[in-house]
Formats: sequence, C-alpha cells, structure tokens
Amino acid sequence: MDITLFLFQLMNGVQYGLLLFLIASGLTLVFGVMGILNLAHGSMYMVGAYLAWYFVNTTGSFGVAAVISAIIALLLGILIERTLIIRLYRRNHLDQVLLTIGLIFVFNALQSLLWGNDPLGVAVPAWLDGAIPLTEMIEYPVYRLFVSGLCILIGIGMYLTINRTRLGMLIRAGESNRDMVECLGVDINRLYTLVFAAGVALAAIAGIVSAPMVSVVPGMGEHVLISCFVVVVIGGMGSIKGAFVGALMVGIVDTFSSIMLPQVSSMMIYILMAVVLLIRPRGLFAS
Amino acid sequence: MFNNRAEKLFVWLFFPLALLMPLLLDQNTFYVNKLATILILSIFVMSLDYLVGRCGLVTLGHALFYGMGGYLFVMLAPEYEAVNFWLYTFYVLAIASVIALVVGVIVLRTSGIYMIMITLALAQMCFYFFSDSTEFGGNDGLFIFVKPETDVFGLSLFDLDNPTHFYYLCLLSLFNCLLFFKLLMRSKFGRIMDAVQENPERTTALGYNVLHFRLASYVIASALGAYAGYLFALQYGFVNPSMLSWQTSGTALVMSILGGLGTLYGAILGTLVYEGLHYGFEHLTENWLLPMGSLIILMVLAFRHGLAGYLESLVEKRK
Repeated sequence: MDITLFLFQLMNGVQYGLLLFLIASGLTLVFGVMGILNLAHGSMYMVGAYLAWYFVNTTGSFGVAAVISAIIALLLGILIERTLIIRLYRRNHLDQVLLTIGLIFVFNALQSLLWGNDPLGVAVPAWLDGAIPLTEMIEYPVYRLFVSGLCILIGIGMYLTINRTRLGMLIRAGESNRDMVECLGVDINRLYTLVFAAGVALAAIAGIVSAPMVSVVPGMGEHVLISCFVVVVIGGMGSIKGAFVGALMVGIVDTFSSIMLPQVSSMMIYILMAVVLLIRPRGLFAS
Repeated sequence: MFNNRAEKLFVWLFFPLALLMPLLLDQNTFYVNKLATILILSIFVMSLDYLVGRCGLVTLGHALFYGMGGYLFVMLAPEYEAVNFWLYTFYVLAIASVIALVVGVIVLRTSGIYMIMITLALAQMCFYFFSDSTEFGGNDGLFIFVKPETDVFGLSLFDLDNPTHFYYLCLLSLFNCLLFFKLLMRSKFGRIMDAVQENPERTTALGYNVLHFRLASYVIASALGAYAGYLFALQYGFVNPSMLSWQTSGTALVMSILGGLGTLYGAILGTLVYEGLHYGFEHLTENWLLPMGSLIILMVLAFRHGLAGYLESLVEKRK
C-alpha cells in the first residue's frame, strides 16, 4: 500500500471514528451521568437519518432539514425522558434493557410504517459537493471533511461544556452524588432531562450527517449501536475521553481491515475489544 | 420440589396439558411444529433465566450458544448419513461446554453493565464470523439433509421426521431441563450459588472460589442453551446466522423477564405468552413490533416481578 492510499484510508478511518465518537459519547454521557443503559440509542441515529431524508425531500435544503431534524430529535429525547426513562432511575439495569428493547421495537415498527423498507438515499448538499486533491492521483470528498470538522467542533464544545461551565460542573457533580446535588437546591430532574435529550440529539446529529454518506436503511441503528458498545467498552464506560480514543481506534481498525483483511473485517473490532479487555477489563480510561 | 403454590399449580397444569396437546390438535402439523418450537425456546430461555435470575450474570449474548448448538451439529455430522442422536447430543454438549468455558473466562472477568456489553459483542463477533463465511453458507446458512436416528440398542424411540414424535422429544427435554435446574438449585452447589449472588465477598471469605462457581454455572447454562439451538436446527433442518444475532438474545431476555426472573417455570410462561402475542399481533398487523414493543414498555412500568410474580400474588391471595 503506497503512502497516499494509506493516507486516504487513514482519513476515512478517522472520519468514521469521529462519527462513532459522536454517537458513543451520547451513549456514555447518559450512562455516566444518569446510570441509564439506553439500548435504543442506535434507534436515535436511525431516526436522525430518516428525518434528514424526509426533510431534505420536503424542504429541498440540507441545512434546513438538518436543523429541523435535530430540533425534533431533541424534543423526542425530552419526551422519552419525561414519560419513560424518568420511571427507571431507581430500577436495575435489566429493567432499562427491557424497556429500551421495547423502544427499539417501537421505533423499527414506526420507521417501516412511515418510510417503508426500501433503502433511501440523500444527495450530498450542493455547497459541500466536491473534492479536494490530496495528490495528483487522489481526491478527498469535501463533505467527509465537513463531517469530520463538525464532529471535532461538537466534541470540543462538549469537552468545554462539561469541564468549564456551571452546567458541566452540575453534570459532573450529579454523576458522583445525585442526592447531594439535589440538596444543594439544583433541579436535578431538569438537568437529567437535558442530559438525556443531549444524548439523543448527538446520536440523531450523527444520523443526519451520515444520511448523504450511507444508504438510509432499516436496521442501521442496531448495527451502529453494537459498534458503539465496542467503542464504549474499549474506552471505559462513562468516559468521554475513552469514547474518543476508542472510537478512533475502532474507526481506523475497521477501515483498514476491510481493505487488508476482507474475510475477517467485520470481526476485527471485536477482536480489538477482546484484546483490550484482556489487558484492561474495565476499558482504557475507566474511572 | 417446588417452592410455592403458584409454581406447583403451573407445573401440574402445563405438563399434562402439553402432553395432550398433539391429540387435542388432532396432530395438525403446523400447530404441533409451532408448539415444539415454543418448547425449544423455553429450554433456551430457562437456561438464560437461571444465569440471569439465579446467578446474577446478565448476558446479552446467550444466542452465541443457541447458534453454536446448531452449527456444531452441522459441522460435526457427515452430510448424507444418518447419525446417532444421543451420541451427537453428547458431542454438541461437550464441545459447547468447552467453548463456554473459554468465553466464560473472558466475560466473567467483568460484571454488570460490562458483562452485558461484552457478551453482546462476543456473540456479534460469532454472528459475523458465520454470516461472512463461505464454507458455512454465509447469510443463507446450511441445511441438514438427513436427520439423526434415535436408536438405543436397536430400538428407535423417536422418529425425528415425525412432528408429533419431535414434539414429545422437546417436551421431554424441557421437563428434564426444569427437573435438572430444580435439583441443581437444591444441591449444595445451588446453595453456594445462592450465596454467591447474595454476597460474593462473604462467600469468598467462607473459602469458596466464587469465580469457579460462576464459571460452572455459566458452562451449564450455555450448554443447555446450545442444546436448545441444536433441537431447533434439527426441527427446521437448517442453521442460520440469525440464530446468533443479538435480537435472539434480546428476545430471550425479554421472555425471561416477562415470565419472572429466576423462577425457571416463569421462563416457560414468558415464552408461551410472548410467542402467543407475537402470533396474535402478526395476524392483526404487518407491524407486529409496534404493539409488541409498546406492551413490553408498559409491562416494565406496570408489573415488576413478571408473570410468575403476578400468578403468585393471585394464588397467595386465595389461600
């Protein structure tokens, strides 16, 4: 493999990794702060992609569609938290698993009811349609660079919010001791609603920006959910930093194995996970 | 033998009724087959129920062994030759146990939420292994052309091609499975496992190696899960990667919780009700997942001890 092709694949791997980070960070944020294992997290990614498809076709503009879809996802997150998740805080993980499996069923059914089972495609927005030359031989699509940049921006924003703002301080405090934060006069319920909705929105945004890169198909959420589990397990549950490192590792390994070892490529990330776990049973950055 | 009136009532009602079912159905092949599948699933769910409810080892990758049971048979048995059922049952159970031992050593290093995710990921790994393989038929899976013979000293007990015979084999297997778990739980091993779930630290302090007991439980439950998959493969004459998919594990977990975790007979109850609802909803609407999913959500919110818990509260009130 020559150096330009290597670079090209590396960029693809990093881009995929950054997208996984966006989804996995939402999963691990909700778990780390609220202790909720949301198996329906992948469904939110699917919802994002389908909403983007729908609004691109009705409004004709990807930008408008993305904003509307993200807002709907945020509202959906608030709705789910207020009606269902709120009843699970004092329950064990099994109840959470069961309820969120129920949610997966509901979302899959709604998806096929509303949009059918045929794969759908979303065009890359005109203003991002193009490629910049890496060398004389290889060009890299602008849209993929845009997605990578967006993921990095959101990642930095999340880091600053959690580490540098009052809101972030409350989130971190709520993670360690819910009751104490409540005693300090903070409306913890509202904080939790916000965190859950943010988690949903992160997955949905990943779905929205993925829509022009992948085909929008039923079951896309479950596939991405399992990859996110691998990311979170590698990184350490509840750690955003871990999600970042884990996602990049998974993205790069997945991309390279699919060209270098196509026979076993879909297994490679699980092998990676098993190796990491043999060395560190609780992940790389477990708290 | 049985812990309470509800359990006794269920077992005394279920098994005699199940015994009569093929006669009541007039040997209608479709329904007898359907019921046999439910019995097979009950074995699978019961083994998961033991693991999750009795040992506190929550796995979302139990389908790994379900699929493995089927694939092991296809890999071991010659393609066009009838083999001995009992011998191959032993092979499948033995090899599945060895695999479970290896997997168990990896997953039991973790607990709780980590174990959920690692078991899920390992099962997915095998799922992709079989669905990407060319020699194991990829996504289409493989067919079993000749069913095994069940001769014992020249006497054929069951004809596996006959749905009614197969049904009775499944029923016998389920009954034995329940009996086995009941005896296991009453044994010294079972009491130590109870202690392990109650308080692992104190059990360690008493001189027991908690990991060994957990590992043994994991191997037992996994082997029985593999047995269920093996029966499923024999019934339909094929194996398919979807047997290993995380949906299979998830559905089994739903059935087990629906029935009432750790009650064992609840596993049968949960499987029956889930499959019944599935069948009913499928006839009502193409989108059976919608009512099913909604019902699961409502159930989590409404009753917390599953159907077995509900049955117990009903029976106890009458007393």
